[in-house]
Amino acid sequence: MTDVSKRPRPGILRRYDALLYPLVFISLLLVAWEVSVDIFKIPAYMLPAPSDVLDAMDSDLINHTWVTLQETLWGFLIANIAGFFVAVMFVHFRPVELSLFPVAIALKTTPLVALAPLLVVWLGTGMASKVAASALICFFPVLINSVKGLRSIDAESDELFRTYQASRQEIFWKLRLPASLPYVMSALKISSSLAVVGAIVGEFVGANAGLGYVVLVSSYHLDTDVMFSAIFAAAFIGLAFFWILEAIDRHFIFWQQEGAD
Amino acid sequence: MQLSAVNAPVDSPGGKSVGRDSLLTLQNCSLTLNDTHILRNIDLDIRKGEFVSIIGPSGCGKSTTLRLMLELLKPDADDRSGAGEVIFPEVRPRRGMAFQKPVLMPWLTIRGNVELSLSLGPQKTPQSLRRGKAEAALELVGLLSYANYYPKQLSGGMQQRVALARTLAAEPELLLMDEPFGALDEMTRNTLNLELLRLWENRANGLKSIVMVTHSLHEAVSLSDRVVVLSSRPAGIRTIIDVPLPKPRSAGFVCVEETLPYQQTIAKLRRELQRDD
Repeated sequence: MTDVSKRPRPGILRRYDALLYPLVFISLLLVAWEVSVDIFKIPAYMLPAPSDVLDAMDSDLINHTWVTLQETLWGFLIANIAGFFVAVMFVHFRPVELSLFPVAIALKTTPLVALAPLLVVWLGTGMASKVAASALICFFPVLINSVKGLRSIDAESDELFRTYQASRQEIFWKLRLPASLPYVMSALKISSSLAVVGAIVGEFVGANAGLGYVVLVSSYHLDTDVMFSAIFAAAFIGLAFFWILEAIDRHFIFWQQEGAD
Repeated sequence: MQLSAVNAPVDSPGGKSVGRDSLLTLQNCSLTLNDTHILRNIDLDIRKGEFVSIIGPSGCGKSTTLRLMLELLKPDADDRSGAGEVIFPEVRPRRGMAFQKPVLMPWLTIRGNVELSLSLGPQKTPQSLRRGKAEAALELVGLLSYANYYPKQLSGGMQQRVALARTLAAEPELLLMDEPFGALDEMTRNTLNLELLRLWENRANGLKSIVMVTHSLHEAVSLSDRVVVLSSRPAGIRTIIDVPLPKPRSAGFVCVEETLPYQQTIAKLRRELQRDD
């Protein structure tokens, strides 16, 4: 007889492992945090207890989160559409690639933090400058991954299509585009977290709303609990965003091959 | 069907037309790619109703010869002995290619993959007919019940059969095969060869000729009417050997190795392959 304890557990338990383990761990961490703040008498301006952070999460925070969320989503959307479009141009028109690629590299190597003030000067302290910052930081990974994806077709597939005298459009829609999707999907996941970074950097430089603004202002007043609540909110946006994309990825890119990232 | 070994170019008064029973003729085809001389002066006539195998040392240019027939590559135009040409009858035969790898699109179902050959290019089949044709081709290779599966759910042998169905769905007159079963184990390979032979012998959908590149002498002799032996690179035709086995072949396929003509042809091919020139 085989050892019962070594048998795989029923599927229903394993399916929620990925959720259960981190939840338990994080709960323990929060309890430890709450207790140690109390025991070691850590001042609230240094490290507020989780319960204080929870108290600081009010309707104001929700409004600021909503602002940052919108900036993030718009930046993400614009960067991805533009990045993919430029990638398609790169793949089909060699001169476009030759002339624009160095510019793209220069854009990538310029620190966003250095550009953010310029964006505020140009676009004002409203949402536009943050959307631009967010889009700028997302653009490069999307471009690179999309180009890689659009070029990922193997010689045999290309020959197969040419054997049937497929047109350029047919090769694009029926071969290049689907072949690029796993790569584009990883690009979306990478840029989802970068989009939040871009928006918050933009808010640091000049804003009157948003999570970056909340972090900045609360640091002046040593409202550390408010600062923590904003940090958590920002982290939550990034996580939720990533999870949604991960779910889409798993559902739609079911043929996903190794090495696409 | 006349099967004598004629490998001289067919000269007809019209200049560019070919003999009445020719499907495709390579005439004085040389090929140089990136300064590498791959093929030299290939003259080969593919006739209607024949199964031709091409063998030769690995890397010699067998696959390249198929690519010339598909017009994926063009023969050198400025050869010392005149321009090479790929000559067709008035109408170009529909050509289908089976690659060494199945080359299936992982995002399409098996049916979708088979329909692919019907939905590309200027000669594509009207949408309403594709499904029926695809399913008929899948039926032919015995995989109709897998129509809704995805390629990675199928074994290598099944994938290769799907690829064959995809090629057959487009109803090629000339089927070109580049070591189609080369990546498979010997058992699967034998099964698929027998299936291919049956398809070939029961052809009803316009298939006229097959040209197959292979590494296997057994495959070449048991399946084909003529075996073209290429020399090493730059490859020329060393010889063309007729296979004196009775047709249809599928009936005696399993025990063909025990027959004398089979063994003699294999021996002849071995000698040709090992000859230095």
